[in-house]
Parts: sequence; C-alpha cells; structure tokens
Amino acid sequence: MTSADITKLILRTAMKDRAAFDQLYRSTSAKLFGVCLRILNNRAEAEEALQEVFFKIWTKADRFAVSELSPITWLVAVARHHAIDRVRSRHPAALELDVALGAADPAPDPEKSVLAASQKAQIDRCLDELDTERRMAVRGAYLDSLSYAELAARHDVPLNTMRTWLRRSLMKLKDCLER
Amino acid sequence: MTPADEYEREPDGDDALAAEYVLGVLQAVERQEAARRIDSDTEFRRLVTQWEERLAPLSASYAERNPPASVKQALDRRLFADEPRDRPALSRLWRSLALWRGLAAAATVALALFIAVSVLRPPVETQPVRFVASLAAPGSDVRYLAVYDVAHNRVGLSHVSGPRASNRDFELWIIKPGSAPVSLGIIPVGATVHLPSEKAGGLPDQGAALAISLEPAGGSPTGQPTGPVVAAGDLRKI
Repeated sequence: MTSADITKLILRTAMKDRAAFDQLYRSTSAKLFGVCLRILNNRAEAEEALQEVFFKIWTKADRFAVSELSPITWLVAVARHHAIDRVRSRHPAALELDVALGAADPAPDPEKSVLAASQKAQIDRCLDELDTERRMAVRGAYLDSLSYAELAARHDVPLNTMRTWLRRSLMKLKDCLER
Repeated sequence: MTPADEYEREPDGDDALAAEYVLGVLQAVERQEAARRIDSDTEFRRLVTQWEERLAPLSASYAERNPPASVKQALDRRLFADEPRDRPALSRLWRSLALWRGLAAAATVALALFIAVSVLRPPVETQPVRFVASLAAPGSDVRYLAVYDVAHNRVGLSHVSGPRASNRDFELWIIKPGSAPVSLGIIPVGATVHLPSEKAGGLPDQGAALAISLEPAGGSPTGQPTGPVVAAGDLRKI
C-alpha cells in the first residue's frame, strides 16, 4: 500500500466512508499496535490504546488534510502521542516497574518498514554523529517514550544535565538533517 | 560531559519544546500545555509538524504486530452501534438490490459506451473521479475538507474548525482559471454535509480551486462573493 493509497483511505474516512475505514484498519493496525505495545509494554493496555487510536482516527481524519504531515507519519503520531499520554498519566508505582522492564529489553530493532529506506539511513547517519550515550537517549526517548526522569536514571546523570544533553543533541540532529 | 560543554548555550524556546513534545520526554502537565498550544498557536503547530517529519524515520523500528480481532469488534460496536445490524433477511435484500443496481448501472455504462463509440466520441470515463481540497486561509480559523465527487455530482464538506458568526452564512464557490467564481450554494450547518455540484459544470480544470466566503444570511445578494474569503484551497485529483 503506497502513501497515496493511505492518503485516499484517510480522506475517505474523513467523509465517514466505513469501507475505507475498515481498509485503513486492515492496512495500518499492525504498525500502530506495534507502536502501542512498544511504548506501553503491556498487552491489555496496548489493545485498549489501539481502540482509542482508531476512534480518534475516525473522528479526526479531516484534521489530517490540514496537518501537512505525510499519512503514515500522521497515523504513527496519533498512536505515539496517545500511548505516551497514557504512560505519563500512569501511577508512579506502575511507572517504575515499566522502567525496569524497559531497561531489561535492549533488543535490536526490526527494520521492517513502510518508510523510505533512504530517510532511515539519513537519520541513522545523523544519529551516528552524536556520542553513543546521547544517541541511545534520543532513540530511547522516541521509541520507548522514556521521560527526562527515566532517561536521567538510566544514564546516571542529573535530570538537568539530561535535559541539556537531549536539547543539544536534537538541535545537532536537526542541523545534520538539514545539511 | 566536559566543563566547557556546561557553558555552551543551551538551546531553548519553542523549537526545543516542540522537539521535546514530539520526542515524548515531557511530563503529563507539560504535554497537556503543549497540546493546547498546538491547537491554538499556528507557529508552534508548524514547529511540531516539522519535528514529526524529522523524527518519523525512527518509527521504522516499531515492529508490526497483529492486534486480536476483538479490538476491531469493540471499536465497531462503539462507533457504529446505532447502525442497523443483525438483520440478515433485510441485509440479503439490500445485497440483491445492490447487485441489481450494479447490473443496471453496468448496463447503462455499456449502453453509454456503445453510443459514445458509435458516434466516434472519446470513450466515457467509467471510474469515479474525485477531487479533494483542504480549505484554509491565513488569519482565519475556518477549515474545511472538501471532496468533489464528479460521478455523483456533489461536493462533500467536512467541517474541521471555525464557527460561523450568527446571522451570516458560509457560501461555497468554485473558481476556474480565468473565470469568475461560480456559487455552489450556502454550506449547511453540520459536521459532514453535501452540496450538489451541477453548477460547477463537470470536471474541474487544471488549477481549479474551491473557496468559502462569509456572506449575509441567505447568501451573496450579487451572485459574486461579497464577504471575506475565510478558507480556500486547490482541487487535487485523488
């Protein structure tokens, strides 16, 4: 399914075309479930989150048309931000447990992707220009949705130092991507 | 981290905040505040959009995992519970009706093609043709998504944001290059509405656009837009 196909499905979903919505679900739910599972690290919660995510996609598909994002980026952003909001509003005890689970799972990332390989290669090259620890902090923040507090604990630095690190790293990343 | 590093100026401001929001490192309260700004602050929204695209390639590392069928079933119950279901007899009837309609339509198309070919006209396009336009304008929070369905001669409009003033109406116009705007009518109030588009005169040309103007209740008295254009956008074929 190409980016243009997904765009059509989202636009038809905005017009409340249920068949298009079903097809969109069939084509993208595995990716978005992967996002929820990775961030929430809990199957039951990820299933609940996925339902919420597609509820939002049905009700807010028209926002996509004015968002200027590419379709997969928009869908992933809806899923990521919903899952991150859930994680951030969890009870602190649950949070600590998940940090432990997350820290124990540095599994290599499967590179199966609907995104252009060249874009992936470019961001990887730019991440490689950062120190190893900072690179890991950026990836951990994006993929596992670690907060500043969790990142600081994981890398054993004060929270403010982590904030400075990450902000500088992001700006370096931006400069590199725009070169 | 070297001491010299500590004195390096720390990047701050909205660009860094947008990056932190997209990355996901902010706390719940900070995230809510950022989300509010995305809705209300165009410049901040643009920064967030840029960071979403910038970091999006990282999401290639999210493995695809098939969700259980129960998720879609629960979702359908929640979204479409009001729609008729569990009426197999009726649904069979509808299916057979749809089939007959389909056959009738196919027969009509075949006839139309036969006539077209027999009078040496170019073949009729049988695929439904749709155009889409995202309607917005600087300085206005009125946003609509328009889908122009040529086959069914109608324009579907989805209201994204922006209320209309009381005693005023939104009027939809189609503008073809080199021609005066043609009114497609007053936009009815509602989240998803349709307007007939016969007056648009068939397929939009290259470079055609839709626009929405703010008019007195009942529509423009002159037949041309009289109020400000609150949203506009180019029609793109999909």
